[in-house]
Amino acid sequence: MNEDLDIGLPPEMMGILSAGIGGSNPIMAATNALNTGGGFFSDIFGSLGDIASAVSPAIPAIAGSLLTSEAYDRLSDIGEQSILGTTVGGVRVPGAMEIAERGQAESQFRPFTVTTGTGGQFGTRVTPTGEIATTMMTSPQEQALQQQLFGGAGQFFGQAQAPTTTREQQIFERMRAAQRPEEERQRLALEERLAAQGRLGTSSAAYGGATPEQLAMATAQEEARTRSMLGAMQQAQAEQAQQAALGQQLLGASYLPQAQLLAATQPAQRMAELQQQAQLFGTGLFGETAMSGLESRMLLEQARANLLGGIGSNILAGMFTPQVTQSGTVLDPGGFGNIGEIIEGVGSGLGGLFGSIFGDD
Amino acid sequence: MAQELKSINLVAPAFKGVNTEDSPLAQDPSFAEIADNAVIDKRGRIAARKGHTVVTTNKTVLGTDSLRAIKEFKDNAGNTKIFSVGNNKIISGTTTLVDETPGSYTITADNWKLVTFNDKIYFFQRGYQPLVYDNAGGSVITLSSVSGAAGVTSAMYGNEVLAAYGRLWTADFSSNKSTIYWSDLLIGHDWSGGTSGSIDISKVWPDGYDEIVALAAHNGLLIIFGKHSIVAYQGAEAPATMTLSDTVSGVGCVDRDTVQYTGTDVLFLSHTGLKSFGRTIQEKSMPISSLSGNITKDIIAALQNETQFFRSVYSPEEGFYLLTFTGQDVTYCFDVRGTLENGSYRVTRWPSTKFTSYTRLEDGTLHVGTINGISTYTGYSDNGSGYRFKYYSPSLTFGDSARIKILKKLKPTLVGANNSVVFMKWAYDFDTTYATTEFTVGTQITGFYGESEYTTVEFTGGQLTNQRSLNTTGYGTSVQVGLESEIDGSPLSLQEINVMALIGKLL
Repeated sequence: MNEDLDIGLPPEMMGILSAGIGGSNPIMAATNALNTGGGFFSDIFGSLGDIASAVSPAIPAIAGSLLTSEAYDRLSDIGEQSILGTTVGGVRVPGAMEIAERGQAESQFRPFTVTTGTGGQFGTRVTPTGEIATTMMTSPQEQALQQQLFGGAGQFFGQAQAPTTTREQQIFERMRAAQRPEEERQRLALEERLAAQGRLGTSSAAYGGATPEQLAMATAQEEARTRSMLGAMQQAQAEQAQQAALGQQLLGASYLPQAQLLAATQPAQRMAELQQQAQLFGTGLFGETAMSGLESRMLLEQARANLLGGIGSNILAGMFTPQVTQSGTVLDPGGFGNIGEIIEGVGSGLGGLFGSIFGDD
Repeated sequence: MAQELKSINLVAPAFKGVNTEDSPLAQDPSFAEIADNAVIDKRGRIAARKGHTVVTTNKTVLGTDSLRAIKEFKDNAGNTKIFSVGNNKIISGTTTLVDETPGSYTITADNWKLVTFNDKIYFFQRGYQPLVYDNAGGSVITLSSVSGAAGVTSAMYGNEVLAAYGRLWTADFSSNKSTIYWSDLLIGHDWSGGTSGSIDISKVWPDGYDEIVALAAHNGLLIIFGKHSIVAYQGAEAPATMTLSDTVSGVGCVDRDTVQYTGTDVLFLSHTGLKSFGRTIQEKSMPISSLSGNITKDIIAALQNETQFFRSVYSPEEGFYLLTFTGQDVTYCFDVRGTLENGSYRVTRWPSTKFTSYTRLEDGTLHVGTINGISTYTGYSDNGSGYRFKYYSPSLTFGDSARIKILKKLKPTLVGANNSVVFMKWAYDFDTTYATTEFTVGTQITGFYGESEYTTVEFTGGQLTNQRSLNTTGYGTSVQVGLESEIDGSPLSLQEINVMALIGKLL
């Protein structure tokens, strides 16, 4: 192999390239060798020799084309390798996809679990669909307390949502029960006073069918009843608000174990974030590094492909350049010469080849 | 030797009226055992009462019934009208009686009470819707038909009505005997609005239970008469706040029509006789004086026997309070000018007058209701008919009931009695068979100069006094002297009776 021409081509390609370049035609040599064998193979190789003889003038063109094709193929391979990866020196070089997959895999969330001092646990996991799910579980004592608080909150909320009329009536009755004895005493005193005055049976239209004192007392008692009623309404509403507030407090307290659990996960989450950051950083570093090596190889391979393509181009360009002496004599007009002879020779060779293969002999 | 005649001079006999309560022997000769159709005249003598002159000339609407009540209506404009009731009708007028009964208003009883109030006259009777009349309307109508009437229900169809303190008050209902209703202020037809009202005094009666009979207003008090007790309220000007002032148990009122105001007192008939409220503003208690203490048993008997109405009237002009038991046709005349030592009024009796109702007009005229319609208490004959004046002394013992008295002479001194026949009577030892002697009083008409002078009448300078000396017979330990005379046109007063007796041996 000519070291000057080591551009990474396979040896057989390099043989063709050398024959084309140095006048030695391995195809022809092979044909000749076959021809010397006689028989069936001599016929075949004879035919191939015919074809070679016919196309020998086109060898440089073929070599140029092959080189160009090789360069094209290499560029294609480089593109594919950049995606799929390759092995260099026995070392597996990952492609972009592999790097991406690895980066994706490396950057995946890593579940973690936090356990508090009171027995609560906070866990994370990735579901099969890729979603991150968290699980929290407080301790049995906390759960019992939470249930108790929940129950209390529900009870208070239920009371707060219930109509206040019943409670108003209850409060009103209690207030009236406190007022009635004094009212009864006043009524009896008035009754005695009226009886002493002989006015027990007095009824006046101007005073609602009673005496002024009775009307005044009835008015006062009615005002007291009204005040009690309004007071009962206000008290019931205040109690309603109080129950709502208590419910709110219990509800808030019922979430306290959970809140404390969540609070306990904050340092762990920070640690997980740091871990995640480190993981992401390493993944990014790995990807960047791998991709930079891959890019360098791609650049080099691209340069090699370009070089090979340049050689092929030059060969083709030389073949189509006429050789003229200083005197102006055209030694070689360039190009493929007599195309009819080439086609005829190739046709003759192919005919003999197919006749040898498929003939009656 | 002839014994000296002993003279007992009965000066102003029966000056103290009738006394049937004390023992005749122990009685003051100033009392009378009988004093019929008599009054105590202005000089303190017993005298014949006045008669009545019928004013009514057309009493068709009255038929054969008597007037049961009379009332003069007078409003602030000076319109006057006499209303009366009888023959189940509301009647107006004096000379010609006019039926004023509202159409479609059926009356089956005549026990109405009539009161004037705020330019209207109201008629109340138990179980009947009250009636009302005013001059603007010009006719008697039911109370409920008055514009603005309210609360006029059967519950307030009372038998008693009182106009006092700016309201009408009514009580004594068919089924409620302890409640009093009062109307709105100055509105006699509003019984449910304004300041109208009621009071049930069933818990106030001092004896636990009683029934309201009559109402009276006196000295700032609302006096509620029960049958057996009396309740007085003060501050009735504002009924809703009036308070019990006093109660009296054991004394009540027999009938609403016996209650009369004398200006300083209220007279009423109780089951034990005529009573009055003393005016005791400064005293806490309310003493009740007995005004018929000299005829208590007679009054009680009359009360028990009465089957019809009680009628009464007070006449300050005549100075008497008349109390008539219409069913028994007897009237007691109480002289209200003063009381005796025992607190009783001097009383005389008017039997068979046929008086069934009275009213005193604003001018002092006393109207009397009879079967003949409306009469005026005047003159000395009952519508042209005479009536018998009687005086009988208590039994006289001349200071010694153990000795026989031989009555020798009676010397009555009479005032008036023009041409009257006078019967002098005497009896001994409580015998009811009287010996009688009579004499005729001469013409006692005062002659004036130039008129019947020296002809048919005696020459007199005023009312004549006639003194006679009459011989008597018989003897006994006690002597009762009497005088009777038919009063028919002329007054008669008994100035004195001088009894001449011979005191005999001891029995």
